[in-house]
Amino acid sequence: MEAVRPAASGARTYGPFTTRITAQRRLSPRAFEITLVKPRSFDFNAGQRLRLRHAAAERDYSIVSAPAEADIRLCIRHVAGGLVSTQLGQAPAGTRLTFTGPHGYFTFKASSRPVVFVATGTGIAPFCSMDASGISGYTLLHGVATSEDLYYRDFIQPHAAAYVACLSGSRPAAPGQFPGRVTDYVEKHLPRRACDFYLCGRQDMIRDVTLLIDEEFQGSLVYSEVFY
Amino acid sequence: MKIYTGSGDRGKTSLFSGERVPKDNERIDAYGDLDELNSVIGALIAALPRHTEGLRQELEKFQSDLFHIGAWLATSPGAPAASSLQPLDPDGAAALERFIDRIDATLPPLTGFILPGGHPGASWAHIARTVCRRTERRVVRLSAGIAHAESAEQLGRAIVYLNRLSDYFFVLARHINRLQGIEDTSWKR
Repeated sequence: MEAVRPAASGARTYGPFTTRITAQRRLSPRAFEITLVKPRSFDFNAGQRLRLRHAAAERDYSIVSAPAEADIRLCIRHVAGGLVSTQLGQAPAGTRLTFTGPHGYFTFKASSRPVVFVATGTGIAPFCSMDASGISGYTLLHGVATSEDLYYRDFIQPHAAAYVACLSGSRPAAPGQFPGRVTDYVEKHLPRRACDFYLCGRQDMIRDVTLLIDEEFQGSLVYSEVFY
Repeated sequence: MKIYTGSGDRGKTSLFSGERVPKDNERIDAYGDLDELNSVIGALIAALPRHTEGLRQELEKFQSDLFHIGAWLATSPGAPAASSLQPLDPDGAAALERFIDRIDATLPPLTGFILPGGHPGASWAHIARTVCRRTERRVVRLSAGIAHAESAEQLGRAIVYLNRLSDYFFVLARHINRLQGIEDTSWKR
């Protein structure tokens, strides 16, 4: 199935913008989502990120929500001992923040070829935004340690041509889930043909999948965003 | 965010437009030379004499312009990714000409070839001039036979810009030497 392209946003603004947290929810023991007021003059394209300033530090986070939505939602990986993620995880509604953006070029490019999204952990964030913007018909591989990290599954699954949860942790995978890393799935199960690959998440996943694409999926395009 | 992935460890890299190409691809050569040019301009800025804030600002503007050119060099003609690129300023070369004319009007007329060198800032300007010429040659080679109208148009603008930028570095080198009281050394046969 061919992926559908959403209407493009025309934004090229960087701020800094002032905003505040309006809601927060835990996605799993390792990730949470915060909702921010979207400043009137801020715009972005699905897949882009913003640079949050908090606790005298800056961190980039991909936006989960679609450009057309009234709020901005961010999916944040809780880093043990991490200054920003720890403080954000405890920040109550009303906490004021500043950010610049949008940053990055990890946006969807129209194509007649099969589209494969590959994410590890919170690397699913830009694909949620693309999906919420109207893109459908893609294959999505989400690599996580355990099934409780399959946040956004219920949102994404109905729009994907194929949704594959890849569980690399020690617990056995449930029926319909793939026991192993996303790289293993690409190597063993993804049909060999030229695709448009979008890779987001861990550095070693991006390296391993890209090298596999070089060898096994000649003629493919690769767009990647390294998270951690 | 990490800046490395290791996905280029086997000699391939990704273009902005997503294709995986060998690192000796002519497109990589072109934006690699452009990157070198930008770095040389950075060294030139660091070597500028005191009280030349205006020159520093000009040069930093050119560094930003080169980033825009680099994005076009890293994008295959007609690729969907081109839609997220900013068109190159069609008046970029004209702006350079104004800078050149302003500086050149203050310099003694040239009567022959001069030896590259003099003040460290002037020497870096000469190096920038030569790297700029090499980059220009790479882009000319890359642009040959491009059928896609928009890409051909943008690379055409890049060639004109680089041609003029190289001339700018020549007059800038003479300007810096003059500011420092260093006379041009003429070539003696």
